[in-house]
Amino acid sequence: MNPKAPTGLMPADSASGATLHTIVAVMSFLACLALGGVLTLSRMASQWTDGLSSSATVQLLPSSQISPEDQVKEALSVVTQWPGIMSAKALSRGEANALLEPWLGKGNVLDDLPAPQLIEVTLKPGQPVELAGLSQKLADTVPGAQLDDHTRWNAELAGFAASSAAIGWSMLLLIALATLAIIVFATQAGLRTHREIVEVVHMIGARDVFIAKEFQGHFLWLGIRGGIIGLFIAIVTLFGSSLFWDSRETPVAGQYLPQLMGSPFHYLWLIFVPVIMGLIAMVTARYTVLRVLGRMQ
Amino acid sequence: MVRFENVGMRYGLGPEVLRDISFSLEKGSFHLLTGPSGAGKTSLLKLMYLAERPSRGAISMFGRDIANTPREDLPALRRRIGVVFQDFRLLEHLSVFENVSLPRRVMGEYENNYRAEVEELLQWVGLGNRLNAKPATLSGGEKQRVAIARAVVAKPELLLADEPTGNVDPEIGARIIRLFIELNRLGTCVLIATHDQRILERLPATSIFRLAEGRLTSASQKDHLIQEAKRA
Repeated sequence: MNPKAPTGLMPADSASGATLHTIVAVMSFLACLALGGVLTLSRMASQWTDGLSSSATVQLLPSSQISPEDQVKEALSVVTQWPGIMSAKALSRGEANALLEPWLGKGNVLDDLPAPQLIEVTLKPGQPVELAGLSQKLADTVPGAQLDDHTRWNAELAGFAASSAAIGWSMLLLIALATLAIIVFATQAGLRTHREIVEVVHMIGARDVFIAKEFQGHFLWLGIRGGIIGLFIAIVTLFGSSLFWDSRETPVAGQYLPQLMGSPFHYLWLIFVPVIMGLIAMVTARYTVLRVLGRMQ
Repeated sequence: MVRFENVGMRYGLGPEVLRDISFSLEKGSFHLLTGPSGAGKTSLLKLMYLAERPSRGAISMFGRDIANTPREDLPALRRRIGVVFQDFRLLEHLSVFENVSLPRRVMGEYENNYRAEVEELLQWVGLGNRLNAKPATLSGGEKQRVAIARAVVAKPELLLADEPTGNVDPEIGARIIRLFIELNRLGTCVLIATHDQRILERLPATSIFRLAEGRLTSASQKDHLIQEAKRA
């Protein structure tokens, strides 16, 4: 007879049944979605706030004291001479129309609306800019000029990102706790089902740790197998979602709603989900076995 | 090696199944335990292989007072004891080879260390061609031989056997008895609980214990017991 790996002391079809694999796979799937959501939201919030904090907008409301052309010229003059400003550019009517197109549709909508003229201001990176002073200077020298430094948007986005991330991490914690509870239940059931095997092995002189090792090895692979199945389904779902939104000609969804997975780098983080599932299953099974056996004779 | 002093035992709140049991077993000795069914033989063996604790009295095994031995020290004591269970208690999903080598595996040994010994032992008990068979495919006698091989594979200092020849034919029974004698010559203390008159006739028992209604009495005469077994 050729040497081979010894058969596990617990029958293979006991604690690793299809039902348990399915539950772990579902948990892994949910964990992947939650983790994907947290990472994407963090990335999107970071991009948004970075973009907003490195720029400002000057709105020029129509004024009877100054012509629109002079209003733009004066405002550009004040802004470009202010310390810390890298560039300033008045948006053309076409560019302004393009900005509004996702909400108002195609067409020269600005012809019919009293929309303000916008100047896009880019700040020098890493250099503090006295935006309050610039706002005051614009108000004093250019009639109808208002500076929006995006502070309100920044604060709201930061709050949204933080609360969304907290919800995501809470979901991950709940998934981990649910997985833990399932493994405790399955381990206890396995010990009950195979009580006779456990007793015999005990009588032969096995230490609790030896029996725990049999269970923990069993559940480690169960967690990893179930985790990989869940990961695979999650990647298919996330990738399919990205493809779906990319293929849709809906500007709002396509351009402004965060796609669940924006970067291939994020997929690498999901690889940790089956590993963590396996580790949770292994440690939980070990702890449960040692606790139950500790109460036996 | 083993000392019982006024030991009593009950299961839960039930009546005492063993009462005032006192005896001692020395290293290298050979003992038989007889008595009618329900007399408490299996319960006495359970106390000896540390599956149960006494309700009263003192048990000393290998110089350790069992009452004061912490739970985590029991495995080391159990490894010095080989047990042949009356109902075999084989692991059904393991092969004959894996069942027999279980005590060595539990001790942390690698298969390379014990494979040859286990195969030789299985040859000795007539199961050399059933290494890969599962217990479900074995006859009662074959299962019993697997159980005996498992009990002796780690060369225990104390061997406890509960009706070890109950299901085997005379030839295999004689082999098993020779195996026990051989182990005893190598220093193992053997205690066999049996009704089998072949064992009573053939074995060089140092002492014969008789259990009746939970009480232990040293048998007065071996011949008397043989006659009693014949009548039974």
